[in-house]
Amino acid sequence: MRRINNLLATGTVAFALTAAPSAWAAGTIAGTLIQNTASATFSSGTSTTTIESNTVSVKVDQLIGVAVTALTTAPATVGTADAVLVYQVTNTGNGSDAFDLTGAPNVAGNGFNATLRTVAIDTNGNGTYDPGVDTVITNGAASQAIAPDASIKVFLVTAAPPAATDAQTSQVRLTAVSTIGSGTPGTVFAGKGTSGVDAVVGASGGTANALAGLISSLATVTLTKSATISDPYGGTNPVPGAMVLYSILVHATGSGTANSLAVTDAFPAGTTYQPGTIMLAGSPLSDAADSDAGAASASGITVQLGNVAGGSPDKTISFKVKIN
Amino acid sequence: MRKFSHGVMAALVVLGAAPALALAAPGAVSLDSTIRLDKVITEKGLTRHELVAPQKVVPGNHLVFMTSYRNTGDKPVDHFIVTNPVPSAVALETAGGDSFEVSVDGGKTWGPLAQLTVAKPGAAPRSAQSADVTHVRWVIPAIAPGATGTLEYHAVVR
Repeated sequence: MRRINNLLATGTVAFALTAAPSAWAAGTIAGTLIQNTASATFSSGTSTTTIESNTVSVKVDQLIGVAVTALTTAPATVGTADAVLVYQVTNTGNGSDAFDLTGAPNVAGNGFNATLRTVAIDTNGNGTYDPGVDTVITNGAASQAIAPDASIKVFLVTAAPPAATDAQTSQVRLTAVSTIGSGTPGTVFAGKGTSGVDAVVGASGGTANALAGLISSLATVTLTKSATISDPYGGTNPVPGAMVLYSILVHATGSGTANSLAVTDAFPAGTTYQPGTIMLAGSPLSDAADSDAGAASASGITVQLGNVAGGSPDKTISFKVKIN
Repeated sequence: MRKFSHGVMAALVVLGAAPALALAAPGAVSLDSTIRLDKVITEKGLTRHELVAPQKVVPGNHLVFMTSYRNTGDKPVDHFIVTNPVPSAVALETAGGDSFEVSVDGGKTWGPLAQLTVAKPGAAPRSAQSADVTHVRWVIPAIAPGATGTLEYHAVVR
């Protein structure tokens, strides 16, 4: 029925040619009228006549299309800091469309599944995630309307989960689905297109996705504790009055960094801490919780090692207690 | 649906032809324009084309623009030239050997596509492509009273 209405409507209009030209890769904009009017001249005897045909009009419907590419091409390092993966979502259809954006860290073959912290749309178009500037959306929520052939950049901010180990790889998928509709190519959503035209699912099926890679960069810290006993009689027996020197060897491996590493050790029951005996790498530390790295409390000692990169030289912490 | 559509088309033809009748007593020709969607149907590995009413048209669809003429008078007419602008939203599709001449400059110059060029600012003109065509036209030497014909060109929606 619609077609006939179009014909009637345009039949009464003057013999205007078609609307604005379009140089869109996505194709003629949805809602454009394709109008056809032929004219003819002929002679009959001595007179020349010009005639025009009726004008036939066809309205271009909306083709739904979307493409997603990962702009993060080399695996992004995740570990000490979050990784921001960048994707581009392009409306390859010929009408305005918004797309539901879903980040999914669970991809088959992953060494670990990243924790998805934030989904954001690049508001200022600089391609870099600017917290507080770029628009954060709920995972799975829709983008703003994107003009035909236009694209947006989408950020997935990811963190390494506790289970991840150093140098594992992972992929994170961003999927965009047309809010007009998706499904088998050719599926029609009547009246759902720009300015009420019908929308037709294109070859993409109205959905697209892309994967971006992560590589974990983590540090693993190993503590090895040993004790040296010296009894009051010149021997090494754990008798009352014997001194125990505890040594803790701190060993960090991996490509990442252990941030704000603090080593704590509780005093064993039945012992008394010997004040002023905390040593770090052969240098004494004070017992007070002050500017130096060491502190002793009634229950144990703490040594702040700061940020320790994997592969950095081992550190030894020691302190003394006396067996009561 | 198709039948009804034809009925409406016929009514429009009468409207369109009315001014011509009034102006030209000696000869009268009616001109009827239609657009059909060239639907490619693949069934059991076989591809066939079906011309249907353009219910859904999206970029990439193939359209057939048809112009039917009929000499409705009782005298022959001659030097019958049908000019059809190609809508800017479509690109002509031609494999050569067409019955029509084309223009790539809005109808100023005409000829076979292979002989036309498109001016490029600051460079040598390039050969015209089918997508450059702005108009097509057919030149028919004479139409006898009551004679009819259909002229068509194919185009793809840009």
